Amino acid sequence: MRSGNFKQRYGQLIALTDSVPVVVWSCILVLGLALAPLLLSKYYLSVILLLLITAVGVLGLNLLTGTTGLISLGHSGFLAVGAYTAGIVANKLGWTLLPSIFAGGFSAAIAGVIVGIPSLRLKGLYLAITTMAFAVIINHLILNGGSLTGGSEGLTVPQPELFGQALKAEWGYYYLVLAFLVAFTFISLNILRSRIGRAFLAIREHDIAAKAMGINLVRYKLMAFMVSAFYTGIAGGLLAYYMRYLNVDGFSLLLSIEALSMLIVGGLGSVAGALMGATFIVLLNEGLAFSFSMIGANMGGANFSAVYEVKGIVYGLTIVLFLRFEPDGLMGRWRDVKHYWTNWPFRF
Amino acid sequence: MDYFLQLVISGLAVGMIYSFIGMGFAMIYRATGVVNFAQGEMMMLVAYIAFTLSGTLKMGFWPMLLCTIILAMLIGLVLEVLLIRPMLGQPVFSIVMVTIGLSVILRSVVVLIWGADPMPMDVGLSTEIVRIGPAGLYQAHLYGMGLMGVVLLGLWAFFRYSRVGIAMRATANVQTAALLMGINVKRIFALSWALSAGLAAIAGVLVGVIYDINPGMWGTGLRSFPAVILGGLDSVFGAALGGALIGVVENLSEGYIGRGMKEIAGFLLILVVLMVRPYGLFGKPDIERV
Repeated sequence: MRSGNFKQRYGQLIALTDSVPVVVWSCILVLGLALAPLLLSKYYLSVILLLLITAVGVLGLNLLTGTTGLISLGHSGFLAVGAYTAGIVANKLGWTLLPSIFAGGFSAAIAGVIVGIPSLRLKGLYLAITTMAFAVIINHLILNGGSLTGGSEGLTVPQPELFGQALKAEWGYYYLVLAFLVAFTFISLNILRSRIGRAFLAIREHDIAAKAMGINLVRYKLMAFMVSAFYTGIAGGLLAYYMRYLNVDGFSLLLSIEALSMLIVGGLGSVAGALMGATFIVLLNEGLAFSFSMIGANMGGANFSAVYEVKGIVYGLTIVLFLRFEPDGLMGRWRDVKHYWTNWPFRF
Repeated sequence: MDYFLQLVISGLAVGMIYSFIGMGFAMIYRATGVVNFAQGEMMMLVAYIAFTLSGTLKMGFWPMLLCTIILAMLIGLVLEVLLIRPMLGQPVFSIVMVTIGLSVILRSVVVLIWGADPMPMDVGLSTEIVRIGPAGLYQAHLYGMGLMGVVLLGLWAFFRYSRVGIAMRATANVQTAALLMGINVKRIFALSWALSAGLAAIAGVLVGVIYDINPGMWGTGLRSFPAVILGGLDSVFGAALGGALIGVVENLSEGYIGRGMKEIAGFLLILVVLMVRPYGLFGKPDIERV
């Protein structure tokens, strides 16, 4: 413990952070990300862009699963709702960039409430499977949506434009996504330090006890679903404009699992953990793809057909090993390291 | 009427497979309170093993089934000891995520070993169509239904009369009390994984014989979730009934409403059922105290 660190007013307890280094390093991180388009090549930028979009979605899942303790296997469904809504209003109705991304977010939020209502009576694994049912049904609706969703042929999304200027994926659009991520991180942090966030945490620890303390379970559970789905819907909208082509195969159940594994790797329930987990998994995926392409090139360009399988195995092992040896995720490890340095030479 | 009966009977034939997988889910959930999301992948792995057994050793249907079940139970045991036992005492969510991780691994391993192409499994069963009323079934369907009867009877007797079965029921009921009564709960957990893998083996062999074996087989495990949810996660016999119901409902909705309904009919049904009964038809409500 840092000595002389006394909280005297309530405001200090709920402040975003009381540590100067955290503020400084966060600013440096954002600045670094903002400078990236000037320094890095196109390939690395596309990886970072994908990472930023993923992080927005994972922040949403973190609010529901990490903070409120409601396990969702249906976030691929929310992502699909967001992406397809954004794609459809942009493609068929000619909406511009920001309105269509927000349309994606709001439609996903509505879907979140619809999923949330039957889920109020369900707990734990029953809830997980119900949300999975939602994702399956959404995929079915998209596949059979006729000309509206393009069915199995997919849907093209126009090039992102803002104020009449076309945004390039590695330039203007990158900054837009970065702005979204920074804003949504702040929203997440602010939700968590407000009455709503404390209600979420109470529900995670024990929902009946929370109810006994006067927390309106219906209201806060629905709110958790709604906010979480909104985040994921926005991520879907951003993804739609990034990929410019939507296909239902891109929103398989595996995506929900991937998102959950990001939370686990990062550490459930913390915003920084969610961001770290997303970074770790996205970089792991890209790193594997990269090293396999290297191996493939070294083997005389032979088609190394087992790429997907080995990726799957590494990926599954990551989840299993993290749960086994580091259940608190990277965030937990970070806390341990921090304590070690601040308390040395004492154990605690 | 003929059309209806035909749909119902072929629905039962499909539902039987859901039943076997669903019973596997319920078996593990009852004892350990965890849903094994890798059940479909277990089934796929075992089906491929059965394929190798029948292909290289030229075994007939019954010896192959027996060997497969034994191998599957061993695999179940090993997986429990390696992956699940170290997680004892962790939150349910973590253990479930371990099974999800396992499912991702198994999917890749199967493709890595046996390749991605679908293969027919030939065990020398006749492919003549047996007519039952208006519906035509394969011999394998009939074998499957017979097996279902035997398994249900066997499990009932096992849970009712054998010491181990009663110990399993006790563990499912109150774990702490079971521990205090001197029941080796760890062994019960391992046994429930083994039994569940055995059930997956039957399902896998049936799917392989009736259709073919392919790396997408695990999807059947996904579609068995409605069966076990409908019956209630902790009711083995409920899962058997749920499977049959889901099979029939899927077939009827496909036959009367439209193509593609098969994929989601089960999921729609459980959404409705869970609204009315949050623990499925036969599940035990979880009474919580603060």
